[in-house]
Amino acid sequence: MTTVFDRIWVRQVTALAILLGLWEAAGAAGMLNPLYAPSPSQIGAALVQLFSDGSIWPHVEATFAAAIGGLVLGVLVGVMLGAAAALVPLVAQLLEPVMMMLNAVPRVVLAPLCVIWFGIGLGSKVALSFVLVAVLIFFTVYTGIKQVDRRLVERVRTLGGSSWTVLREVYIPFVAAWIMGNLKVAVGFAFTGAVVGEFVGASRGLGYLLSFAQSTFNAALMLALVFLIMGFVLAIFAAAGRIERRLLRWR
Amino acid sequence: MLRARDVTLSYGGEPVLEGAGVELDAGQFVSLVGPSGSGKSSLLRAVMGLQDISAGTIETPGLARDEIGILFQDDALLPWRSAVDNVALGLRQRGASRAQAREEAEGWLERLKLAGLGGRYPRELSGGQRKRVALAQVLALRPRLLLMDEPFASLDAIVRARVTQDVVNLVESEGIGVLLVTHDLEEAIALSDKIYLLSNGPRARVSHEYPVPLPRPRALIAARTHPKFAPLYGRLWNDLSEAVEGPQPAREAA
Repeated sequence: MTTVFDRIWVRQVTALAILLGLWEAAGAAGMLNPLYAPSPSQIGAALVQLFSDGSIWPHVEATFAAAIGGLVLGVLVGVMLGAAAALVPLVAQLLEPVMMMLNAVPRVVLAPLCVIWFGIGLGSKVALSFVLVAVLIFFTVYTGIKQVDRRLVERVRTLGGSSWTVLREVYIPFVAAWIMGNLKVAVGFAFTGAVVGEFVGASRGLGYLLSFAQSTFNAALMLALVFLIMGFVLAIFAAAGRIERRLLRWR
Repeated sequence: MLRARDVTLSYGGEPVLEGAGVELDAGQFVSLVGPSGSGKSSLLRAVMGLQDISAGTIETPGLARDEIGILFQDDALLPWRSAVDNVALGLRQRGASRAQAREEAEGWLERLKLAGLGGRYPRELSGGQRKRVALAQVLALRPRLLLMDEPFASLDAIVRARVTQDVVNLVESEGIGVLLVTHDLEEAIALSDKIYLLSNGPRARVSHEYPVPLPRPRALIAARTHPKFAPLYGRLWNDLSEAVEGPQPAREAA
């Protein structure tokens, strides 16, 4: 006999509810110091406060603007450089070591440098998101083009296809599938760049609010912001997943 | 229709093929058999212009470049295109409008027993169905010479027999010349009007040429029971074994 607990999501939600219940109970029993580990109800209250007075929206807007700006620029530049490197050996010889070096550095350490170069405004956050995304997309496209199935290229050629046909019918769909496969990671990177950039130096944004909460030792606000960022990114992951499933339904 | 003379072909080192010659007349079905590494597929690719030759000539008198089609062992369908769009692709390259190309492609899918499956992606089709789509893709371009490189090797026996019989019916009715590369001697005899045997590579050459004295139209199962089938199979087997391992004791023909 099947029960409602046979559904995976029901089990997951139940486990989460039990965990939150235990956490709340431990807080109410005085087992957790609210200064370091506020209870779920205190975190919820901080979240409600942020939304009820509307003070959160300019910060959400700033973080989204930085993340989406970095994501769009990073994808565009990553695609162009990755394609150029895969198709022109000289470009690969010049670019690959640079990208390898950038990839070897934990790129968030570039955040202070971005602030020095681009100031505490939107530019430095977009720049950090851009670097994080562009390196990822560069390698995605570079590797993707090199792995294009030669048999498909030959097939299109023998059917009378021109170079443009080969590009349109083989390379673009093949590489697009690779990029779509990495889109969720790229979205995560874009938000990481934006939030870390704001944390290091900004006057607006969720990262700035995190920095403010840290400096005022407000753990409830910090955790509320962590859950908020998590929720936003998960929502974007879900949207990206839907787009991916729709565009790659041939898989 | 096809005259390949003294063809030498190498990939940089010792030639794979040296001085090989193959001839095929209009509407003729010709097979190339030989040991692995004897350059059968390379010769086929050279005829299609996918492989340069180091010496010799390959001529296709009376044939335009786009009247030659090729079917590979891998069906190599575009996975992101539906079956009908895969078939329509070549037609679009020939200038057909999208609607015309799709209509014609649907017709070919129907002829190849795939009616109603045009909207499916390759991953949604069986191996035999994918092979039929690949065949429709090539035949839709009305080739007068069809090159086939072990196109049905990956199919199970029953599907393979059915698809092969359909190909024979189509090429016989359309008068298409075929050059087939195969490892399967029975298939080569059952399908062909003439068989070339290549010697062991490198420096492989055409060591034997066999006319196939079986009547047309061909029913493949019946062809295998024809009295002239077994003696030819025995000769081919002995010659091929000799090419691979040196002289063999004569095999008793059934």
